[in-house]
Amino acid sequence: MATLTLNALKKRYPNGHLTLHGIDLKVAHGELIVIVGPSGCGKSTLLRSIAGLESITEGDLWIDDTRVNDKEPAQRDIAMVFQNYALYPHMTVFDNMAYALKNRGIPKQECEQKVRETAKLLGLEELLERRPRQLSGGQRQRVAMGRAIVRSPKVFLFDEPLSNLDAALRVQMRLEIRRLLKRLGTTAIYVTHDQVEAMTLADRLVVMNGGQVEQVGAPLELYSRPATRFVARFIGSPSMNLITLEATTSPLAKHPLVRDMPAEPMEKAATLGIRPEHLRITDPLQALFRLEVEMVEPLGADTLVYGHAAGIAEQIVVRLDGIHPLEESAQLYLGAERENLHFFDVEGRRV
Amino acid sequence: MATFQHQRLTPWLLLAPQLVVVGLFFFWPAGQAIYQSLFTQDPFGLASTFSGLQNFIDVLHDPEYLAAFTVTILFTLSVAVASLCIALLLAVLADRVIKGSRFYRTLLTWPYAVAPAVAAVLWSFLFDPSLGRISHFLELVGVHWDHHINGGQALALVIIASVWVHVSYNFVFFLAGLQAIPKSLLEAAAIDAAGPWRRFWTITFPLLSPIMFFLLITNTTYAFFETFGAIDATTAGGPGGATRTLIYKIYEDGFKGLDVGHSAAQSVLLMILVAALTLVQFRYIERKAHY
Amino acid sequence: MRYRRPGLDVFSHLLLILAVIAFLFPVWMALTAATHSRTDLYTSIAPLWFGSEGLHNFISVLTEPIPGVGASASTMLLNSLVMSLGIAFGKIAISMLAAYAVVFFRFPGRALCFWLIFMTLMLPVEVRIVPTYQVVADLHMLNSYPGMILPLMASATATFLFRQFFLTVPPELLEAARVDGAGPWKFLWDILLPLSKTNIAALFVIMFLYGWNQYLWPLMITTDQSWTTVVVSLKQLASASDALVPWQLVTAMALLALIPPVVVIIVMQRYFVKGLVDSEK
Ligand SMILES: Nc1ncnc2c1ncn2[C@@H]1O[C@H](COP(=O)(O)OP(=O)(O)OP(=O)(O)O)[C@@H](O)[C@H]1O
Ligand SMILES: [Mg+2]
Repeated sequence: MATLTLNALKKRYPNGHLTLHGIDLKVAHGELIVIVGPSGCGKSTLLRSIAGLESITEGDLWIDDTRVNDKEPAQRDIAMVFQNYALYPHMTVFDNMAYALKNRGIPKQECEQKVRETAKLLGLEELLERRPRQLSGGQRQRVAMGRAIVRSPKVFLFDEPLSNLDAALRVQMRLEIRRLLKRLGTTAIYVTHDQVEAMTLADRLVVMNGGQVEQVGAPLELYSRPATRFVARFIGSPSMNLITLEATTSPLAKHPLVRDMPAEPMEKAATLGIRPEHLRITDPLQALFRLEVEMVEPLGADTLVYGHAAGIAEQIVVRLDGIHPLEESAQLYLGAERENLHFFDVEGRRV
Repeated sequence: MATFQHQRLTPWLLLAPQLVVVGLFFFWPAGQAIYQSLFTQDPFGLASTFSGLQNFIDVLHDPEYLAAFTVTILFTLSVAVASLCIALLLAVLADRVIKGSRFYRTLLTWPYAVAPAVAAVLWSFLFDPSLGRISHFLELVGVHWDHHINGGQALALVIIASVWVHVSYNFVFFLAGLQAIPKSLLEAAAIDAAGPWRRFWTITFPLLSPIMFFLLITNTTYAFFETFGAIDATTAGGPGGATRTLIYKIYEDGFKGLDVGHSAAQSVLLMILVAALTLVQFRYIERKAHY
Repeated sequence: MRYRRPGLDVFSHLLLILAVIAFLFPVWMALTAATHSRTDLYTSIAPLWFGSEGLHNFISVLTEPIPGVGASASTMLLNSLVMSLGIAFGKIAISMLAAYAVVFFRFPGRALCFWLIFMTLMLPVEVRIVPTYQVVADLHMLNSYPGMILPLMASATATFLFRQFFLTVPPELLEAARVDGAGPWKFLWDILLPLSKTNIAALFVIMFLYGWNQYLWPLMITTDQSWTTVVVSLKQLASASDALVPWQLVTAMALLALIPPVVVIIVMQRYFVKGLVDSEK
């Protein structure tokens, strides 16, 4: 167990590319932090800087009370699980797991005992004598986990550890990782592309964009109170409808719910966000707008409806519960609760 | 590429052995060759005077050098063409027979392990004027064979021995190349009703041409250098210079004749020739494989 | 495959077998000649079948000083073996270290080192043979194993091969090892070396053959006969006297010179093909 503190962390690659623009983050004991963000935003770079695989250009990195900027990966007492697992192909599962322990000069007996314990925890006992190429994808993933766990490090780092598995296995491993991490109580940072993984695993979620942290918070907090337009769009699927408000032309802007916004924020508000699942059919008087249906996707449990409304440039998505036999070009009057409306200013910040 | 960081000394420690060896035994001698080629030494090696390009001019005007050049070209062409043709034929056949292709590969590649000098000695036994099997047979058909006297026959002997060794080298590459051709391609051609002969010339051969080109260059360097042993062990450049190749002349002038300046000039000329060949090969490889 | 023709198959086998026989023919003639006495040999043309003097001939070349050379074949076999093993292991070792430095480290001067080493690919030792001889003489390494071995190690073929292989090693493997507490030397020893086993074996075959079959260099550098290698001695034996060539001894020596490399190539056939094809690419 350990805390992790990032203080204005910057990373510039030798080719001059500034990838991390100063990251601040405090991770508590035993917390599971998930980092999400679009491809190329610097997630891996951040993780690898924490691991010590990339040097830190500026700022401080603390593990507990030690500044570790200049420490070798092995001295930081972290463990990392790679996307392609990076198992040593010529070593057995046992040797793969024992390698780090041996390098630290841990006595053979203790090594063996630790490896067997971990193998039992992960259900790998039968596989200890096999080599990586004799294992299935899921088993390899488990060995990679085992190799990290066996050292009982202060911090676990995961870089998209499940992305090479098929969908069913991913769900199973996701649950298993969560269970395992909570049981071990180790601080962990987990990078993923997968929304569901992010929402279900995280104690706190970090959304990154272009080398910066957009928002940090509990998954549901990010869902219900996105701090920026970017986060609003990034979290949730299908993603939030973002409607540009131009006070003079849009009839929407004259709707009481929108119009009655406190005057000062309203002046700055440039975008209105409504999640597809928060739009519901209502009577014409209360409706925010009238949707002309263009396409319907019945998914069984719910129905996705796509269309346009007068005065609104963007396409609108609505998610309706259950089955709705809707014709194309049908008209729907749609409304929403006040607390489900999100306003963002011109810079994209929440108001 | 992931790399180790904060390591200043380690890479130099790792490189040191190779750098020392390369420096001592490659760059120093190569530099010496260039240096010496510009000087004239007296026969006792006591004094040397700068003579500019005089050594090169001498060498290029030396009829013996030009003769050696002709012999080298003749020798190289014969060895390359003969061993490429035979190897290609054998590889195509071995690729055809599905059963036993490994067996044939083993039985056709082992001569590569035989030193050219040893091969030449073995063949000179077969061609020995008094008791050789082959020279005896030639006598029966009316050819008198004595490679100690007949220059053409001496050259033929070293060519045969060199080809015998080198066929296996080419064979390995051709077979690997043939086995890399997707069978579906040949099957498609078979469906288009192309016979085996047409299939070979229209599909297999064009696909092999990159390997062909590569082998042509390696065969040339082989004939230039590695056949020194074959020549020295049997004919020693003779009779009358009939088998004196460029490399053999460098050896004779520099090592036996102690004519350092002229030998160095020849070395430099050969270096330029070989470097040019290698550059052609590199460019070609670069084009083929995009690393 | 539908397009096979049985007639053509038979023809292929026939030609291949013919080639196999033609390849074996010189060695067969050497084998039979080595089992006859000199007088037997010179009474008629070279025999096609074995005689009874084989043991005697081989024992005599292996134990007695060879006329014109001055050392016995066993001494020369030992010289050949030391030289070829020295070249093979030495070259593999220095090349692997150098390639490791070039691929897995970034340091000032890296590009220069890279080019210095790879320039050697362009010129075989034969081209600069006379100045190399002078250098070795200056270093007082004539008639010594280092003198026989080191100059032949000054080439980058193996370095190039190792570099190609190292570039295919997934970078995450290095990172995993760093996290697991392996430094540069440990990574090399624990991970890279075992992963390179096949490449090392392949290179070993190629380099062993290269070393064993050297001619010009050992010829020049071994002025003292007891340092001669088997391959080089053949000529001296064959031209020892102006009288008739002692073919029974020459063929016996030739066989001794070709058996070790041929055994290596046959036993390690798979690695040989890989080594040849890879190292020339
Ligand atoms: N070694 C490097 N040298 C220079 N630039 C790099 C290097 N590695 C990554 N980058 C750049 O840094 C940025 C962030 O890369 P990073 O791998 O951290 O993204 P990521 O968020 O992990 O993306 P993904 O989701 O695709 O894995 C990218 O623009 C990338 O091009
Ligand atoms: Mg990444």
